[in-house]
Order: sequence, then structure tokens, then C-alpha cells
Amino acid sequence: MRFILLVAVIAVLFSCTTGKKPDEQAFLKSLDSTKTDGPGVDEEVINAILEQIPSPLEISVLLKESGSKYNQSMLNSSNNLPKYNSNFKKALNLGIYGTDLGYTNIYGQNQDGIKYISSIKSLADELNIGQFFDVETIGRLATNSKNLDSLLLITTMNFNQINHYLQSQSRDNLSVLLLTGGWLEAMQITCQTAVKNPANKELQEKIGEQKIILEQILLLFSFYEDDTNMASLLADLGQLKNAFDKININYTYKESTMEIVDGVAIIKDNSSTTIDITPQNVEEIKTITDAIRSKIIS
Amino acid sequence: MSEEILKALTQLFAIITKQDGGVSENERQFVIDFFQQELEKSAIEGYLQLYDTISGYTEQQTKHVDDRSNKLTSVKDSIKTLAICKKINKTLTQKQKVVVLIKLLELVSSDKHFTPQRMEIVNTVSTVFNIAQEEYKLIEAFVTSDQVGTLNYADILIADEGTQSTTPIQKHIHAHVAGHLIFMRVSSVSMFFAKYIGEDANNLNGFIMKPSRVYLFSHGSTIKTPDGAALYYSDLVADFNNEIHTTKLSFIANVDEYKFGNGVIGIRDVKIAEGPGKLIGIMGASGAGKTTLLNILAGLEKPGKGKIKVNGFDIHKDKKKVEGVIGFVSQDDLLIEELTVYQNLYYNAKLCFAQLKEEEIHKLVMKVLEDLGLEQRKDLKVGGVLDKQISGGQRKRLNIALELIREPAILFLDEPTSGLSSRDSENVIDLLKELSLKGKLIFVVIHQPSSDIYKMFDKMVIMDTGGYPTFYGNPVEAVTYFKKATHQVDSNRGQCEVCGNVNPEQIFNIIEAKVVDEYGQPSNKRKVTPMQWHEMFKSNFKASRVEDIHEQPPRSLHIPSRIKQTIIFTTRDFLAKLSNKQYLLINLLEAPLLATLLAFVIKYKSAPGGKEYIFRYNENIPAFMLMAIIVALFMGLTVSAEEIIRDRKILKRESFLNLSWNSYLQSKLIILFLLSAIQTFTFVLIGNLILEIHGMTWAFWLVLFTTSCFANVIGLNVSSAFNSAVTVYVMIPLLLIPQMILSGLLFDFDKLNELLSTKGKVPVVADLMTSRWAYEAMAVHQFKNNEFQKHYYDYERDESIADFKSAYLADELKRKNQLLLDFLEAKSDSIQKRISVNKNILYTELRNERFREGIENLNLTEVFIKNGYTKEIGLLLDSYFENYKKYYQKQYNKSAALIEKKMAFYESQGFNIQQEKNHYYNESLADLVKNTTTKDRILEYNGALIQIINPVFQSPKPGHRADYRTAFFLPEKNLMGILVDTYIFNLLVIWGMTLFFYLTLYFELLKKGVSILSKFNISLKK
Repeated sequence: MRFILLVAVIAVLFSCTTGKKPDEQAFLKSLDSTKTDGPGVDEEVINAILEQIPSPLEISVLLKESGSKYNQSMLNSSNNLPKYNSNFKKALNLGIYGTDLGYTNIYGQNQDGIKYISSIKSLADELNIGQFFDVETIGRLATNSKNLDSLLLITTMNFNQINHYLQSQSRDNLSVLLLTGGWLEAMQITCQTAVKNPANKELQEKIGEQKIILEQILLLFSFYEDDTNMASLLADLGQLKNAFDKININYTYKESTMEIVDGVAIIKDNSSTTIDITPQNVEEIKTITDAIRSKIIS
Repeated sequence: MSEEILKALTQLFAIITKQDGGVSENERQFVIDFFQQELEKSAIEGYLQLYDTISGYTEQQTKHVDDRSNKLTSVKDSIKTLAICKKINKTLTQKQKVVVLIKLLELVSSDKHFTPQRMEIVNTVSTVFNIAQEEYKLIEAFVTSDQVGTLNYADILIADEGTQSTTPIQKHIHAHVAGHLIFMRVSSVSMFFAKYIGEDANNLNGFIMKPSRVYLFSHGSTIKTPDGAALYYSDLVADFNNEIHTTKLSFIANVDEYKFGNGVIGIRDVKIAEGPGKLIGIMGASGAGKTTLLNILAGLEKPGKGKIKVNGFDIHKDKKKVEGVIGFVSQDDLLIEELTVYQNLYYNAKLCFAQLKEEEIHKLVMKVLEDLGLEQRKDLKVGGVLDKQISGGQRKRLNIALELIREPAILFLDEPTSGLSSRDSENVIDLLKELSLKGKLIFVVIHQPSSDIYKMFDKMVIMDTGGYPTFYGNPVEAVTYFKKATHQVDSNRGQCEVCGNVNPEQIFNIIEAKVVDEYGQPSNKRKVTPMQWHEMFKSNFKASRVEDIHEQPPRSLHIPSRIKQTIIFTTRDFLAKLSNKQYLLINLLEAPLLATLLAFVIKYKSAPGGKEYIFRYNENIPAFMLMAIIVALFMGLTVSAEEIIRDRKILKRESFLNLSWNSYLQSKLIILFLLSAIQTFTFVLIGNLILEIHGMTWAFWLVLFTTSCFANVIGLNVSSAFNSAVTVYVMIPLLLIPQMILSGLLFDFDKLNELLSTKGKVPVVADLMTSRWAYEAMAVHQFKNNEFQKHYYDYERDESIADFKSAYLADELKRKNQLLLDFLEAKSDSIQKRISVNKNILYTELRNERFREGIENLNLTEVFIKNGYTKEIGLLLDSYFENYKKYYQKQYNKSAALIEKKMAFYESQGFNIQQEKNHYYNESLADLVKNTTTKDRILEYNGALIQIINPVFQSPKPGHRADYRTAFFLPEKNLMGILVDTYIFNLLVIWGMTLFFYLTLYFELLKKGVSILSKFNISLKK
């Protein structure tokens, strides 16, 4: 009896160590030795472009003002956290969660917000940028539901700091991914809302405006073509660009004039921009965005 | 004697006397005398009639029948004789049969009418009684002969005025006796008979001895001649006994004074001198110090003033010489309750006789068991107080057997009869008497002995309250002594005239007699105080001189080698534990039960979203590991804490054997370690199985096993130092709670009282805790070597180092340098102080830095130690730090990219990274060992910069070769200049601690410390 037990135990112990991995040598051999260095893009160039990308918060505000209801199913579930193991995905989804947090914040959905905070904190730790989340402060604020507003605000603000920090630490690729993730999520939410409300011209125009931003992002990505992950994302974004190419943005220039109002001189911009965008365009953009996003979050 | 037997005897008498000429008056008178001894007056008539009828006495009187007509024994008589003898055989003991035979011979010799037919019948009787022919010859000669010279037997002893024996082999002693006193020993039944030939009125036990009559010379008997010379049973036995003469033994005790721990005098002025072959009783009122005296004599306690010498060797100073000579049977049971009667004796014998073969030991054990009447019970478990399997008497006998088996020359017994029935008591004392006859010297503390037992002692020591000896001599004389001392009537008679009983109670009634007040009520005051008794004793008794012997005392001990002892101890203990089903069951089930309970409780749907259990997100894993360690410590402590206490009694007994303490401890460790190994293994197996901790079974087990072994040794320490199990169990929380407090998990080492803590290092107090070493080993090993992390650990380590340097250290150093630049000319003291601190920090950091681009030619010692710091150097450093930061940023990105690539590589090989991480990696544990919750990632403390974040990726920075101290969860430790993996290092530390505590256990340091403390307390009270 004891013998059988012993055999069983040994069997269990050995069964745990199946599926042997290739050794370190195999991995090192697989490395292409010449291309380990980063792209070496000038910091300032990147910074300049990055700054033009709107904060996800802006779009959320727009959504709320449009009168659409809070819809949790549009967001990336925090349950997907275990799936993000590479820095590439971590950074992208950190951006996505950041947008989602902003969205819940605008709608005052504190309970959902707390979940995103913890996911964000966890991803940030793994990306070595956990210092921007002061756990003590977060913990203290989280104990009282009245503090949730400020808690969410702090977290959202931290994203800006993280971006700056990553750039200063020459980890601009992460910064790019972070912002791209955030932007994609915002696009996705906006598109979904816009499709549901075809009458809302303002939302459609907002989507059309993103054509410029996408161009910037594509420009940024072009610096990182060596990175296989980013290159593949760039290809996907290229499809999105094709869809955006169908939209025309007309800029009509008129000379500015100066008026005196209440004894104060004010310069008035008389130029105007018109965006030609149809619900079909929105639909197409939405489909492509969804496809890219679901690749990222899964 | 039953009616039936008496009838049979009467018939036997009659048949014998009937032969060859019929009954003579003398013979008839002898029979009447015999009846008078045995019967009431009224009953005599009936038996006499029976006798007369069968013997034909009536016919003789009336018909005057011619003698010669009955010359041949009729067939009828012969058959009758045989029938009677068979009847007697069935009911009488051998001893009684010997007495009957002697009576018959006496009957015949009462008229000296020894005809062949009469003798033939007596001889037949002796054959039917199974009395050996030689012995019969001896008895016949002893009873019938009046001539000393004809008694040429070794079992005959003559006491007379002569100086030597008349025949070559008979024994002789010189005594003031008119005529001859003849003693006979019937060795098959160990009985002695006495006979007097002469004119004097000698006194046997206070009664006149008739000349030529045979008397039974029983235990405790005394014969006194009219001159007052006395012949004691014990002396006589000694004279008979060859073994006693060949045993070289002298025991001389001079105990001037013995004080108890509290300063009260327990024993004073006891002088005992004895040779071999004596059974000596120690009696006294309760509290008189009997047991104390016995302990002192046995060498268990050391007398304050005085010496105890065996064959001239001081038993305290020349321990080696008297090793194994002394045996001690205490009042308590010193048995291993879990073992059988046989096993108890067997293992004891194995420890005593290394030279004997297995078979011989078995024989020896069986012989002792038979001698003590325990052979029927040999396979019964001894059992404890609650589940008694053998009777009290049997227990006592087994206790004695344990000492007897090794045959010590001197044996001490403390109340061996207490709690026994009178029959059992008598058996025990009989046994001791027999031993003493074999030449042993035996001391027995005895309480309220029966008359028979009392008389069996050769000498009696009587103690009075306060430890005063009041009597030392022949037991029966003790009664007369005290009677005389208080001028009582009839003081010459020690025993009852009719029945020969002695009442030892009488002695104490006299000693403790109270003064009666005027109302006739006894008061509290004693008539004679202990001191007065003692004065009287001193003037009446002079210590007898014993032949002083100066050779090695006899010993049969042959102690096995240490390794063999360990094996014997281990097997014995192992068997004892195996037979204790409850103990076994609880100890084997405890671990799996606790593991199941713990693991079951803390396993929850931990995946984000709460749909399933994923090991990676179980936040309870760090706590589980601590609990596992606490459980290991707890099990280790509880299992060992009682070990030595439980054995203490047995150790006391075995202390006379002088066995190896080391062997004993090792046997304990073998068993306890084995148990710990099983316990911790089942715990880890089940815990890991339920919580789905993969690939860590052996690693965790080794840590927990090590921890448990440490706890075992601690438990043994405690167990050896304190004297009750309760104290020991109270000690357990005292030992365990600090282990929990300072384990490193419950309370952050950086947030402890500043008296204890050093920032960036584990506090020294915590270094004393096994839990901290065990926890660190487990946590670091799990994090570093799990199937997922181990493939990335090295890269992540590089990444973390680069991150720290680029993100924190670079800026910090730059600031330090800036301060130096800013205050290049400042002279104020406070600033100077800061400058020197900063210089020191820069110096240490740069000295160990590998990246030196731009400062290759800088002499750091010159710059920072010898005031060589200039503005140019400051600016150089400033730009250096800029490059430093850039360099490490690059390093970081390189490592990060490598990790990415490696993951991609594995995925391309078909491995599922996410699944692996879920299986092997635990987020909470990672957070713990990476210390992600900390607010300060870098800290300046005591003039040095300390990295707080990511301890598990740091390397130790030893201050000197022996500097082992680091922060908690570092992956490596410095061991005399060599970097050792934390897992191995920590295990080594725990084993080192275990060894240390083994040494304290071996030297019993804790026990000594505790006894010093308790002495200190008493002196405070005074």
C-alpha cells in the first residue's frame, strides 16, 4: 500500500516538469545580432509629434456632452489583464485602460474606475513606471467613496507624467504605444457612439479630424519599423489610413481681423475648416478600428 | 494446616511408629507435642485417638501383642503410605514437605529406635516428596545424629567454643556456647534449621531451645546464649554462603550533613558500613528523610559534608570506577509505557551487555522474567496510568527486573512495596532477600512492613524527623531497644510469644510518643525529641567495622559503543512510538490535515473577474508560505518538546549505566528528523497540490524540513531544561511569536523600532529568527526559479539595475555633485559636513561603477578622500553623469528588448507564455520580493545611498569579508567573499543554528541557566 502511494507521489512530482524549453543557447542563436539597438530617433522630434495627440480625456468629455449613455461593454475589461505579458502589449493596454478610466471618470462610474486603477497600477509596475502611482495615497483615497473623484483625477493626470517620464528615459517607443493605445480606445468609443447616433454631426466631424492625428502617429511609427511588433501594428494602421483617405478636410483661409470689444483689442480668426465625412466612412473606420483594437486587447 | 493434611500426617506418624516393635511412650509423647503445637486442646483428643488406632497403640496396651509378629511392613501399609504422600504432595509446598520430613525423622529419633523398616518408610516418603537423595542423607544425619563429628556436610555449620571444624567440609564459627549449636541449610528450598546439643538454656527468638530438638531457623531469627552472645540469622546465612565470601564489596557512607536546596538540613550524621550479602531496611516517620538518605547513598544527591565510598572509591569523584556497580529502583515507574514487558527488559539488557549475542540476551531476559514471575505477561504492553495492562505488582517487579538484569552489586530501592498487596510485597522482598543471599548489598526504604517482611531484613536503619538516625542494627532488636529505652515491661521480648510476630509499628509508637496533658489528652510535644533519640543512639551504637576493600567493585556491565547505543536507543524509541497508535496517527495526520485546511481556505477564484482559480493572481501565496513555516516550526516544537521530559525518569535510571548522552540525543534526532521529514513532505505535497504551486515541491520541502529540524532541536533544549510538560507548552508561544513578528512578512523590516532596524538591511534581531531565513529562501527561490521566471530572471535583473541607475541613481549623484560645485568655497561647518557626506557617497558609488567613459583617468581617492576636488573635475563629473544616465537608458532598453524577443522566441516555439505565467508566477509574491509598494525607491541613510526597490534583483555589497547582511529578499549572499545563492545560504544558516542549539543541548546550557536562575530567586527571598 505504502509502496503504491510512493510511486503515485513520484509520478505526480515528475509529471509537473514536462514540456522542456529550448535552452538559452538556442535563443541567443536566434537573435539577429546586428539589430539590437534602438532606432535612435531624435527626442525632440518625437516630443513635438506626441504633444499634438489629444488626451483621451478630451474625447470623453465630448461624448458626455453629446448626451450618449455610459456603456461598459465598449471598454476593455480589466479581466483581460493576464493576457498582457510583453512590454508591447502592456504599454498599448496601459493606454487603453487609461482611456477607459477617463471614460468611467467622466460618467462618474467609480466602481469600474477602481478596477481600472488597479489594472493600471499593475501594468505600470511591470513597465517599471510604478512610481507614478503612490499606492499609499491611492489606498487612502479608495477607502472613502467621496474621494473617488480626486482618485480618478490623480490617476488620469499621472498619464501625462508617465509620458514625459518615458520620453526623458529614452523609452519613447513605450510612450508612443501608450498614446496609440489611448487614442485607439478613444477612437473606438467615439466611433461606436457615432454609429449609434448618426444624426450627431459633431461626433462625425471629430472622427474626421483624427485623420491628421493618425498621420502623425503613422509618422511616429515609421521610426520604429525595425521593431516587428510595431511594424505589424503600423501595417494595421495603414489600413485605417486608407479609410481616412476617403475623407476630405478643406481649409479655407481668410485674413484675420481686429475688433475692439469693451475697449480691448481682439484678433478674430476668420479661417474655417470643413470636413467631408459620411456615415459610411464612420462605419468603415469603426470596423477597422475594432479589428485593430481587438488584436491588441486579446 | 488443613484438617485433611493433619489427618494424613497423623496416619503417616502412626504407620511409621507401628513398624518394628510398635509405639514407644517417647514417640507418642512427641506426637502429642506436635499436636499441641498445631491444635487447640479440645481437638487434640480426636487426632490422638486416630493415631492410637492406626499405630495400634491401644492394642499394645490391652493385648500386649508380641512385637515380632509385625516384623514385615505389610503391603497394606506401604500402599497407604504412598497414598498419603501423594495427597500431601498435592497440597504442601516443598518447604512444608521438608518440614514434614524432618518431623518424621524427629519422631523416629525421639526414641532412637531406628529400624530398617522405619527408615525405609521415611526414605520412601522423601523420594515421593522429590527430595534429592543427598539432601535426604543430610537431613537424616542432622536430625538423628548427636555427634558433631559425624556431620561431614558442607551444608552443616557448627557453632561452639572450639576454634575449628571437626570434619573437613563442615563449616564452623566460634561462639560462646556450652555444647554445640548445629545449623543445617537445605539449599534446594533455602531453609535453615537449628539444633542444640548441650546443657544450656539457649534462647531462640525469646524461647528456650530444648536440647536435641530441631527448630526452624527462619528469617530474622536470633539465638541467644545465657551469656548474652547472639547469633543472627543474617550472619549465619552469610557464613553459609560462598558467594558472599567471594564478593569483594565494602560500602561505607559517612554523611555528616545534607542540606536541601532551601537550606534546611535533611540528613545528619549518618554512618553506614556494610559488606556484601545484606538486605538493609531504612524506616522512619514520614518526612524523616528516608528517600533523601537513599538518594544520597545511591549517589543521586551529593552530601554537603561527607563521603560515600564503594571499595574505597568515592562515588562522586571516581565515577568511572564505580560505573555500573550501583542500581536504583525509584518509587516511580521507570518503564517505557509504550513497549511490552519483554521489550522493556530487552533493550535495557542490550544497553548493558554489549558482549552478549542476541540469543544470550533473549535467554537472559527470559530468565529474569521467569524469576520474577512475569513470563506470562511478557508480550503485554506496560501501559500508562490510564490504560493499565499489567498489575501494580507486576509493574513493580518489572521495575526491579530492569535493575536486576544487570546485576548491580549494590541495589537501592525506594518503597518497592508501596501500593502492593501484602502477598505481592512479600514476593518482592523475598526476591530481594534471595538476591542478598547471592552476595548483593541491598538497601530498601520500607514503610509499614508486615512482621514477616520486617524480619527478613538483616539490618534496619531507623530515622527520625529532621534526618536524625536513631537506630542501626538487627530489626527485631530494634523493638527491644526502644522498649528498653523507655523502660517498658517485657522489654526483652521483641516478638510475640505465641506467633513470633514483630510489630514494627510499636517502634514508631515509642519514638513518637506524645506527652499527655493533665486531662489525659496527648499534646503536640514529644516525650523524647529526635535529638535526644539521636544522643541515645550515639552512645549506644558504634559503627561496626567492615573489611575495607580496595579493589575494583564487581561489575557485569559492558556498555556498547556509542554508535551501537544510538542504534539501540533509536530502535527502542521507534518501537515505542510505533506502538502508540494515537501519537502516530495524530503526528502523521496533523500535517496533511493542516495543509488541506489552510490551502482549501485560501484558494479562491483569484483570476481578474473572479471566474476561476489562477495561481498567478492568488494573493494569499505569500501568507501561505509564512504559514507553512510557522506550521513547520510548530509541528517541530510540539513533537519534540516533551521528548526528554517523558524520558527523564528512564534517563535517571540509566544514569547509573553511564550511557552516552550524545547517543541518546542522536537517537532522538534521528526519529524526530524522520518524523519532521514526513510531516513537512505531506504538508508541502498537499498544500502545493491544492494551491497549484508547480515545480516547487522539493525546494519548499527542504526549507520546511530544515525549519522543522531546527524546531526539533529547540524543543529538545526546552524539554531538557524544564521539568514539566506544562511549562514546556507555555514556552512554545514564547518561542513562536517572535518568529512570526520577525519573519519579515507581517512587519516590514524597514518599519521597525529604530533601535532594532537598519535601513536597507535585515535587523540583527531578525537574523536570529529561523522564520526569516526560511521565508526569504522560499520566497526568493519561488520567484527566481519558477518555470516561467527563470528564463527571464537574468535579463530582468539587468533591466532592473539599469532602470535604477538611469532613473534614480544618476539624478541623485548628479545632485550630490552639484552641491559640491555650488559650495566649493564654503567654509561653514554644517555645509562641510554635508560636503564630506556627499563626497563619500560619490566615492563609494563611483568606485564600484563599471561605466567609466569620460572619467577613466580620474583618481577617485585623490578627488574625494584627499581634497583633490576642483571645479573642473566637478564639471567633468556633471557631464559624466549625463552620459551615465544615457548609457544606462540604453542598457535598459537593450534588456527590455531582449526580454521581448525571448518571449517572442518561445511563442514561436509553440509555448504559451500567458499560460506559463499563470501556472508558475505569482503576482503578489513578485510584488513582495520586488518591493513595489514602497514610496521611496532610493534612500540616503547613514551617509550611503540605499536602493529600496527591487531587492530581488540586487547584489549584496558587503562591507567586509564576513559581512553577510543584506536587505530582505536579495538573491545572493556574501559568504566569506563568495557569492552564494540565497536559498542555499539561508538553509546553511538554519542548519548552522540547528548545530549551535544541538551543542547547547549537548552541554545542557539552558538547563544550567534555568537552575542558576531558580537558585537566584530563592536567595532573593531570603
